[in-house]
Amino acid sequence: MTASPARLTVNAVPVDLTTVPVGERLLDTVRWRLGLKGTKEGCRTGDCGACTVLIDGRSVLSCLTLTHEFTGAAVTTVEGLEGDPTGARVRAAFEKEGALQCGYCTPGFVVALTSLLKERGAEASAEELAEDLGGNLCRCTGYAAIVRAVRRVHGEMP
Amino acid sequence: MPAFSFVQPSTTDEALAALRLGEPGETMIVAGGTDVLFGLEGRRIPLKRVVSLRHLPWKTLSWAGESLRVGSTLPLRTLESDPDLRRRIPGLWQAVRAVGSVALRHRATLGGNLGRSSPASDLIPILLALDSEVDIVGMEGERSLPVDQFVRASRTTALGPGELIRSVAIPEARPSAFLWQRVRPANDISQVGVAVAYSPSQKGWRIAVGGVVPRPVLLPQAERLLSGPFPGAAELRAAAQEASMRAPFATDRRATEEYRRQLVATLLQRAVRAVGAHPSSPGVP
Amino acid sequence: MTFTVRPDADAKLRGQVAFATDLSVPGMLWGALVPAPVARGRIRSIDLGPARAIDGVVAIGPTDLARLLPSATGDAERPVFPTDRIQYHSQPLAAVAAPTRELARRAARAVRVDVEPLPPLEEIEGFDPAHPGPDRPEVIAHVLARHGDLDAAFGSADFVLSETYRTAGVCQVALEPHACIAEIQGDVWHVTTSTQTPFGAREDLASMLGLPEERIVVEGTWVGGAFGGKGAPLVEPYALLLARASGRPVRLALSYREEFQLGRTSLPSVVRIESAVKGGRITGRRVHWRLDAGASLPGRDFTTGYAIGFILGPYRIPAIEMEGYAFRTNKPPLGPHRAPMAPQCVFAEESHMDHLAARLGVDPVAFRRSHVWKEGDFTHLGQKVGPFGLDRCLERAGALATTWRKDAAPNTGVAVGVGFWSTVTGAGGEARLVLSPTELKIIEGEREIGSGSVIRGIVAVAETVLGISRDRVRVDYHDTRSAPFDSGVFGSRTLAALGQAVQKAALVLRDELGKRLSVPADSVQLTEENGELVAVSGRHRESIRSLLTETELAAGGLTSEGRHYGTSGEIDTARVVEGTFYPYTDFTGAAHVAMVKVDPETGAVRVTRYAAFQDAGKVVDLPTAQGSIEGGVAMGLGTALTEETTWAADGHLSNAGLLDYRIPTLGEIPPIEVHFVEGFSGAGPYGAKGLGEPPIIPVPATVSNAIFAASGAAMTELPMTPERVARALKLL
Repeated sequence: MTASPARLTVNAVPVDLTTVPVGERLLDTVRWRLGLKGTKEGCRTGDCGACTVLIDGRSVLSCLTLTHEFTGAAVTTVEGLEGDPTGARVRAAFEKEGALQCGYCTPGFVVALTSLLKERGAEASAEELAEDLGGNLCRCTGYAAIVRAVRRVHGEMP
Repeated sequence: MPAFSFVQPSTTDEALAALRLGEPGETMIVAGGTDVLFGLEGRRIPLKRVVSLRHLPWKTLSWAGESLRVGSTLPLRTLESDPDLRRRIPGLWQAVRAVGSVALRHRATLGGNLGRSSPASDLIPILLALDSEVDIVGMEGERSLPVDQFVRASRTTALGPGELIRSVAIPEARPSAFLWQRVRPANDISQVGVAVAYSPSQKGWRIAVGGVVPRPVLLPQAERLLSGPFPGAAELRAAAQEASMRAPFATDRRATEEYRRQLVATLLQRAVRAVGAHPSSPGVP
Repeated sequence: MTFTVRPDADAKLRGQVAFATDLSVPGMLWGALVPAPVARGRIRSIDLGPARAIDGVVAIGPTDLARLLPSATGDAERPVFPTDRIQYHSQPLAAVAAPTRELARRAARAVRVDVEPLPPLEEIEGFDPAHPGPDRPEVIAHVLARHGDLDAAFGSADFVLSETYRTAGVCQVALEPHACIAEIQGDVWHVTTSTQTPFGAREDLASMLGLPEERIVVEGTWVGGAFGGKGAPLVEPYALLLARASGRPVRLALSYREEFQLGRTSLPSVVRIESAVKGGRITGRRVHWRLDAGASLPGRDFTTGYAIGFILGPYRIPAIEMEGYAFRTNKPPLGPHRAPMAPQCVFAEESHMDHLAARLGVDPVAFRRSHVWKEGDFTHLGQKVGPFGLDRCLERAGALATTWRKDAAPNTGVAVGVGFWSTVTGAGGEARLVLSPTELKIIEGEREIGSGSVIRGIVAVAETVLGISRDRVRVDYHDTRSAPFDSGVFGSRTLAALGQAVQKAALVLRDELGKRLSVPADSVQLTEENGELVAVSGRHRESIRSLLTETELAAGGLTSEGRHYGTSGEIDTARVVEGTFYPYTDFTGAAHVAMVKVDPETGAVRVTRYAAFQDAGKVVDLPTAQGSIEGGVAMGLGTALTEETTWAADGHLSNAGLLDYRIPTLGEIPPIEVHFVEGFSGAGPYGAKGLGEPPIIPVPATVSNAIFAASGAAMTELPMTPERVARALKLL
């Protein structure tokens, strides 16, 4: 009945899902089973965006995702964006603009914005990109520096 | 939580067979999956299986002349990104954009939203105003129902046991608009949503409201007060007044009934004017 | 001072910083709390049996405390588990630990709690607090101060404006929930936790658990946001007791729902403010304030006597009276939320000012400036006002507001609001500096909670004294075992306390280097050469390596210490009739400008432009200061427009989640101009003023005034949701 083998990849590393309980959230598989703590647990109800990861390149809320739902998919966490050129641009822009304070929401923003830039490329304006980040909450920065970082990275896209 | 099995059919037949497994209430159907974890909590009947529709070939989007058919498991973000949607059915584009956040829309689906049938749904009003039809498959075969007959109340639809939504058909690309109001503009549940669409073929307006109980509704009495594609101020006010009186609002934690009646009148007028002002509208005969 | 990148930025951007929620130790159990099912009631019985029957589960309740606590007492006033009375809904009555998160949740749900419910006491209005009658919330704080001839002022006034304002409770909503890992290591009760105040937590835990402080070690982690909510131990006592009961390390993190249900934060309040006006001046002002203090205990309230002064405002008023009552209700105890209760008090006071100005037909800014305190004036409690830049901020805010008004579109209003704050000293701060041939290490006991005041602010101080490049300065956090004492990160005090401790220690180092170089101390600066630090004074240059003795090199470097225990001014006790009031340490003003568009048919409010003029004394680290203003304004916009805790009739919190408790999202924040006014000294190094809290204070008032300017609607309730604005516009 299952369409694909019971596994997926996380940052290109295969994960055998037969060892993962069916009720387990992708957030917990990534953090506690695989030890990738870069993705953060915030509200665990899909309202804050701290748990954002990519599935086949698209941002999703891993706290609302059953790992088993995405057999055959490629999951990317913030750690998986280390060598990603767009990810690197995003990180550099955030760093230059000081677009972080406590850092808890930061991986979620990095992953979400990286995915948006790849999805929409040059066609989206900085304002549209910022609007599309509405699902990521930040309590420390007031978003001002994050918006500056979005403008910076948008301006620097090839 | 006791273990349940995860079933991932890849054909319609497999999906329908999976639904026949076990006793009623033991099976949960998952489309986009954004609600699945909430469905695992506080169940009276323990969950035995989750049937995920993700691998079914229902993530389709096809235009045929004026009409559009959207597969029930197509992620909303993909629908939103269709190069023609914003121009041809602006109200639907606005409604899809109103749902949750981008990350949510990478998984949320029309089928899931219709199945959930929330009174505050941002998608059902526009689907009503577009005279959409729900394409249903079951062991008995296929059938099609207007959305207006499909949704009944919160979590209650006309889907029989063993049936699934396969696609949604929008017969006519209409000049349309969807406006809403919330306590917080983004990532919030709407207090009131108003969808309007002008049908060139029927030469009439459709007006639907969300944020009412028990489910979003069309307002034919208000529709009838609008004559022609560019109603004047007096007609608009009369239709708004009628909508305000007729829409079955209630008070809940998001807004009082009184405030909702005020909102719908305003949003209706603005939505109709927005349709008139939309670049696509000169096409309205 | 250079605008450099935060030293923690790279790690945070890569997800490499470990927060308390990320930590894991071998053999760790997962903890969970058992919530009270009612807001008020008597506990009949707690049956842990069904939880203990689950394999691997350890469960503890009130009857276990005697065997778990070394001295079998703990704090009688604040028992870890109540034995008789439930004080607020979801109050932890017991706790469990299990091998997995899932099992812990299941075990917590399995515990059978039998209670006799009682009707919760919630209403704080509609009765005389001096004679409350039965079934009324108890008064846990009463403050009253008076000065001047009120009867004369009110009797001879041209008019009296009397208004009532209501404000809702708001929550800190740090994205990181409270979390800790506790482990008993021999005699030592060790907890690794997300906290603003490691030493304060140690003291509190010692008291709650009946242990001497030396047996408790608090190790702070990076903090994922705090805003006042992580200043007192919340999860640590339960985790420690579970660790003791199980013999295993225990991780306890609150669910986000519990963050809302159990968090200590701001609660609802009602303000009545009356001003007597004669000849265009305020001649008298009376305020009566009622504050819901939740299940607070008498004698532990700091807020009432501190915040109430903000309802009188930073204005010269010859006759004043302020009376405040804090009531004990069946909600979680009141706790500090960024500038505790100040935004709410200032909302009332500053909205009132604009309504007075409107009544008089005068410019609101000019009206304020004719009353505002300047250095040398006296506060309402008779304390002399120190250097205070509020008037300068007001002047500039007023000029900007005038400019903005020229661009204003229909249904748009521009207005000003002000606020002031004082650095809260706490006890004090200490630091140890170690200068090695290659770096300057700052050994200290505060954790970086986000703003940058630790990771950048105190570094900037060291940089200023010694000229050393920031890349050569390392903040070395130590836990309570070995860190120099510091009260913690709260009350906008880091620069004032720890910052000055670092300054003093750095000056000691500079003195010593001056001696060794035989040059005046203040001519010494540190630079680098070939990867090593060099002391320079005029033409003298010597490497630190050659300036240190063998012993010093072996010990890691040249060490110095600094301590700073600040003082506050004094109030005139003759003005105090009842209760405890607090003097200010310094005077930090802020004037804000908002441009707001009000939808005349729906009441929806959009803030389109915002500017903050901040009296900063001296900006020690610009990005830290700017970030604090931007973040504080955004938080204030949430308090102003969308944030409120909603309590059901049975006393439970009905919006305990981020869907129904609405903090601002990215799209709602307007461009914010940040301007600093320097030169009016504060309590910190180089006259710096603490900036963690001041920026949130004027925001709700400024928005309220802009709505008033845009539409004529006088807002008297927070938050100013579209429906409330619609009602104020008389649309309904």
